Amino acid sequence: MTKIVIDKVRHKYRPARGKPVLALEDVSLEVRDKEFLALLGPSGCGKSTLLYLMGGFLPVESGTISIDGKPIAGPGPDRGVVFQHFALFPWKTVRQNVLYGLERQGLAREKREAVAKKFIDLVGLSGFEDNYPSQLSGGMKQRAAIARTLAVDPSVLLMDEPFGALDAQTRALMQSELLGIWRASPKTVVFVTHDVQEAVYLAGRVVVMSARPGRVKAIIDTNFDKTAPDVLRSAKFGDMVDQIWGLVKEEAIKAQMGRGT
Amino acid sequence: MAGIDETIAGPGLGSRALTMLARWALVIALVIAWELTTRARVFTPFMLPSPERVLARIWDDGQAGDLFINIGLTLYRALTGFFIAATLGLLIGVAIARGGALGWFFDPVVSVGFPMPKITFLPVIVLWLGLYDTAKISMVVFDAVFPVITGTVLGIKSVEKELIWSARSLGSRERDIWPRIVLPAAMPQIFTGLQVSLPIAMIVAVVAEMLMGGYGMGGAMVQASRMADSPGIFAGIVEIAVVGWFLVKGMATLRRRLLAWHPEAETPTGV
Repeated sequence: MTKIVIDKVRHKYRPARGKPVLALEDVSLEVRDKEFLALLGPSGCGKSTLLYLMGGFLPVESGTISIDGKPIAGPGPDRGVVFQHFALFPWKTVRQNVLYGLERQGLAREKREAVAKKFIDLVGLSGFEDNYPSQLSGGMKQRAAIARTLAVDPSVLLMDEPFGALDAQTRALMQSELLGIWRASPKTVVFVTHDVQEAVYLAGRVVVMSARPGRVKAIIDTNFDKTAPDVLRSAKFGDMVDQIWGLVKEEAIKAQMGRGT
Repeated sequence: MAGIDETIAGPGLGSRALTMLARWALVIALVIAWELTTRARVFTPFMLPSPERVLARIWDDGQAGDLFINIGLTLYRALTGFFIAATLGLLIGVAIARGGALGWFFDPVVSVGFPMPKITFLPVIVLWLGLYDTAKISMVVFDAVFPVITGTVLGIKSVEKELIWSARSLGSRERDIWPRIVLPAAMPQIFTGLQVSLPIAMIVAVVAEMLMGGYGMGGAMVQASRMADSPGIFAGIVEIAVVGWFLVKGMATLRRRLLAWHPEAETPTGV
């Protein structure tokens, strides 16, 4: 079943000064219901732009994006977003952050508190409910942001390099926990990253995007059993990473060249 | 030396007292220098009365009640002006940050008005509003409003778009965004504007009193000067310094309370 249909989307990025830049060129893509899809590409390829278009944060000017058959019109709680730099409300505690979306839904007080507690526990932040984001480490901030997003129960999870600002160990830990959470209650996930290993490990399908202007270069099926503890060192995993890295590398070089001139 | 090592080692009881002492070192040194200068008769007691004489004068003013009337009046003018300036500054700042017609109108007004010495408008204010509280408070508002405007505009403009996007995707309605997200996120900078504005309010209240006369700390000093009452003049300086210190400290404490979430709130600062 198809969840999100992206059809011939073009997008121009208009900086405050300077000429508009073509960020996305004729992107068409179908995201299946409850699949974990990775958008992979060199920096500046427009993968985040595509995610923001799905989120409804940027206007779709050319082409269409529809979710469950309906064209998107602005952001909404059906699509939860997790940003690289967390975007937690710094003046609210972890609990208040998680409660924010639940309050907007108008749930009864006890119900809200119960749901918040459930998701704070799920991401392993019990004991830190009353801390402000500034008192948390990067990994814990992202856990709080994920709890806040999951709490409103969106059917689509849009993640913009969520582990990109974390150290390597924290990132590895967060990846396996995210996968655990997703396996326990699958949602449609669109996960933007420039890390090939991360994409192959997390996603069932990896969309490789070209250097700017972004196009869909290839879609690779990476859906195999990754539950084994040493899957990251298995031959199959290694081959897949190599194959996809080959595709990304060309684009990364192009992106570098484009930036150099 | 031992004391310094202790300070580096960590917050023991002794080092705490030492840190406090270090903070006040300049003030204490100044008072000692003042005392020594008067004892050595470098100046005549008329030119520079001794600290004891000035303190005695403050005590006498306190006994007579004048001290509290003057402090009360100056604080009333400074704080009333400050609260009006804070409200106006917030509203104008929001208008400018939102763009639109109001912002388009206020932006140049602020650019021209901020660097201008507002005291040049004093004759006009006196002409229009007279010499009493309305005129004095208007001068305070006129001067103290600008830091609040700039703090508000900068605070609002530096709110990360991801914060607003998060709020929208969590189900915020459009009219919730400003009160629930933008203003709280901009609060640290708005508060910095208020912290700059409060001492300005105090300064302008005293200056306005000096120029327009009447009761109040500034008026009392001018009166003392006319009477060649040198302990009175120096008493005024000490009183204003102490009142100003309490105001600034009060604001800093309020900031630590209200903005406990802000990383800056944890680091102790002089201001």
